[in-house]
Amino acid sequence: MTETRGVKMSSNTIDTPESGFTVAPITVTHPEKVDVRAIRLFRDPPWLLRLTLEGDRSYTRVKVVRAAPLSHPDHFIALLDARDEEICMIDALDDLDEETRSLVGEELDRRYLTSRIVRVLSVRNEFGTSYWTVDTHRGRREFVVQNVGENALWLGDHRLLLIDVDGNRFEVPRVDDLDKRSVALMEQVL
Amino acid sequence: MQNTLKATPHQVDTIFIESPPPVVRTRLDAITSEHEPVLIQVAADMDGPGRYARSWLVVTAEQLIILETEATGSTVQVPLRTVTAVRAEALVGGGRLDVEHRGSTWAQLYYSNTLAPKFAEIAAAINQLVRGESLSLPTRLEATRCARCGRILPEKDGVCPACIRRWETLRRLLGYIAPYRWRALVLVLLTSAGSLVSLVPPYVVKHIVDDVLAPVRPETQTGGVRLLALLVGVLLGVNLTMWVIEVVRRWLNTWVGFRAVEDIRKALFSSLQFLPLRYADKRKVGSLISRMTNDSDLVEIYMLFDLPFVFSNILMIAGIVVLLLHMNARLALLVLLPVPPIIIASSLIWNRLQLYWRRWSTRWSRLSSHLNESISGIRVIKAFAQEQREGRRFEVHNRDLQDVSVSAERSWLVFFMVTNFFVSFGTFFVWYFGGRQLLRQELELGALMAFNFYLMMLYRPLKWFGDFYSFMVRAFAGAERIFEIIDAPSEPYDRTGTEPVAVIDGRVTFQSVSFGYDPGKIVLHDVDLDVRPGEMIGLVGCSGAGKSTLINLICRFYDVSRGSLSIDGVDIRDLRLETLRSQIGLVSQQSFLFNDTITENIRYGSPDAGFQDVLRAARAANAHEFIVRKADGYDMIVGEGGNKLSGGEKQRLAIARAILHDPRILILDEATSSLDTPTERKIQEAIRRLVAGRTTFAIAHRLSTLRSADRLVVLDNGRIAEIGSHADLLARQGFFYNLVRTQQVNTAMMASHSVAGPQTLTAGCW
Repeated sequence: MTETRGVKMSSNTIDTPESGFTVAPITVTHPEKVDVRAIRLFRDPPWLLRLTLEGDRSYTRVKVVRAAPLSHPDHFIALLDARDEEICMIDALDDLDEETRSLVGEELDRRYLTSRIVRVLSVRNEFGTSYWTVDTHRGRREFVVQNVGENALWLGDHRLLLIDVDGNRFEVPRVDDLDKRSVALMEQVL
Repeated sequence: MQNTLKATPHQVDTIFIESPPPVVRTRLDAITSEHEPVLIQVAADMDGPGRYARSWLVVTAEQLIILETEATGSTVQVPLRTVTAVRAEALVGGGRLDVEHRGSTWAQLYYSNTLAPKFAEIAAAINQLVRGESLSLPTRLEATRCARCGRILPEKDGVCPACIRRWETLRRLLGYIAPYRWRALVLVLLTSAGSLVSLVPPYVVKHIVDDVLAPVRPETQTGGVRLLALLVGVLLGVNLTMWVIEVVRRWLNTWVGFRAVEDIRKALFSSLQFLPLRYADKRKVGSLISRMTNDSDLVEIYMLFDLPFVFSNILMIAGIVVLLLHMNARLALLVLLPVPPIIIASSLIWNRLQLYWRRWSTRWSRLSSHLNESISGIRVIKAFAQEQREGRRFEVHNRDLQDVSVSAERSWLVFFMVTNFFVSFGTFFVWYFGGRQLLRQELELGALMAFNFYLMMLYRPLKWFGDFYSFMVRAFAGAERIFEIIDAPSEPYDRTGTEPVAVIDGRVTFQSVSFGYDPGKIVLHDVDLDVRPGEMIGLVGCSGAGKSTLINLICRFYDVSRGSLSIDGVDIRDLRLETLRSQIGLVSQQSFLFNDTITENIRYGSPDAGFQDVLRAARAANAHEFIVRKADGYDMIVGEGGNKLSGGEKQRLAIARAILHDPRILILDEATSSLDTPTERKIQEAIRRLVAGRTTFAIAHRLSTLRSADRLVVLDNGRIAEIGSHADLLARQGFFYNLVRTQQVNTAMMASHSVAGPQTLTAGCW
């Protein structure tokens, strides 16, 4: 089947028996497939990320981004160069060695400032706008969500993403894992 | 702005000097000297990428300091002269200020998206310092919290729903009724009279029962049939009066209400039209349109169906209570007992009910948007044979809607039953206690029945007041949003001291013009350009280089930030806006046409032109031939945005419009692109006729357009990189030469792949 790797997309060869005509597979040559074992990441200088593809080339000001941050947070991690062009893609974080994985993890934490809601302290719904006070894994936070129908996204049956008026993101990985009071408060507005 | 000395730390001169708590103050004092002027001193709301905590960024004339978390946390000091650049990096859900410098320390500051606009300005400001320019900071940022109650605002710079000045808003709304005040007064009097008259029938019934039909003491029966006829006559009269009052009241209500709302809409629309573009930039089109539609609807409903009843319903409640007390004080108090529980219970259930209604409307809009999508995308769905899947998706939405409808209906039922239950308690009280009094001959049967009637009448206005408040809040918020636009300063159309000029020559002079849409983010730097009357200038550059900005300044959609822009030697700000714009013609790639006839579209800029002139303009624009081929010719309605015409036809109409308008200054914004060659040739020809003798600014990527220009102005990053004729610039082998080279290589490449590409210059941009 079609493998969506971002690096090389090959579709199955389709044979039409009557004519013997073959459709050539579509291949994407850019960016080229990189062996994840060749990926070496450094902080040099400490605030910039440098990438060396061993035995090949080196990039500075490298950015680490998730291709599908919501559906596949631990897979399909793209490395971008200073001009935001893709250098290569890591299909699964688990493919990386310990050291590189922790560096990639750190970089992802620095890029995705989404907060995980641990507890809901209060939710008020006034005038079509909801005012939230929550405890997150980053600490307590107050925020306002306008038009809950559009800005509360259910990702699956239990996972919830709230986007506040400023574009800050708050996630509840499993609504069922929250305490009863929090769930009851959330149900008032969702 | 550089005078905030440390000696007066709490003096706030700019919005970028925030006052820190004592702990931070102490930490700062330890590392800064007495005489270092503090230029920027702001708090961020994150501590590294980890937790929410306040961190501080301080920029003095000497150094840049980052204090992570207020009390503890690390301190980063970077001498300003070693800083090379500061970037506000956008992250997901927040941002980071990266300080690039020649040292080895790690200077970064994280913040949430809430503070992203602030730090974008700060990054721009620090970069000014780094480049040695004078510091120019914006004087205000968009408000995110209500200035009065500190509540987070639902919309930036928006209205705080909790702090609406209710009386002020009400006063202004009533102001729109003022022109019709006599009718409005009659309306209020009629409504009140109607309420009072509606109190009469139960009282008449009481007399019919007590005095005619079932007198407690038969000897008091006085009138017999004659009294009965009289009382029924009164009943009939009262009902007739009520009917007349209701008809007149409704007629007056709609008359006054709709006129007032019409006036509000008129004021709103005219101020929307005259708002400066800068205002529209900051808001989404959708939010402006919603003020025109949703907000004015809210106000309309309020003015028509709520406001007129306030007085009458108060009167009604008061009247009923007085009557009940008058008839039998003890029973009245008993009967009013269930009222507080009803109010409490209904307000409790009301919240739940509203929740379901909100959910219902969300699901409904989801369903209808899916419906909309699957009908407008029917070609794609069929092409990919996905009808079944769309059907399944629809089923899911439909089921969701059904679920919530059932829940909503169920809670509505509960609400209804509960209120009815309590209301019936009132009736029970009347029957039981009233009945006992009746048996003891302390009360008459008719009075008992009247009691029951009044009780029923009492609950309606009570419930009405419950809804009234929540609706009033929403309507007032809508009214405030409307007034906000009505109050916004409009463009200075007829500023005093500006002279209307009949005809201008068309000399356009830029003298070291700098401009930024946001102060602090300069998009045009020190532009010097003198354009002779009748000269054609081609503007070249990558997207974002400032071509459109330059044109926006000529149209005076915006005012220059520094320097001066003059036309015929007169500063553009001293020209009357109407005069200026009547001398400017605009033909752009997406020429906007109004949903009207071809004639009216061509005549848009010059409404007085005769049909002969329209014909001449259409001929000159090479539009005549295609117009006469249309069934309705010049009378054809072009559709919304001109969607019944092809791209080339729309452009030729736009050119005809400009030709008829006969402007002295002409602006061609990518006027010929993405068109087939024969059409393009016709358009080129039309444009050549149009350009002749007029000062022309043409934004173009195509070499063919640029060759006919007298001079090319090459813009790079908001600065003029090169000026000269096509041949000059090629000979100079500079920026323009490189653009052309890249383009030729690309064209050759495309040609070898037999892809017909337009000859554009953007290929050299990245």
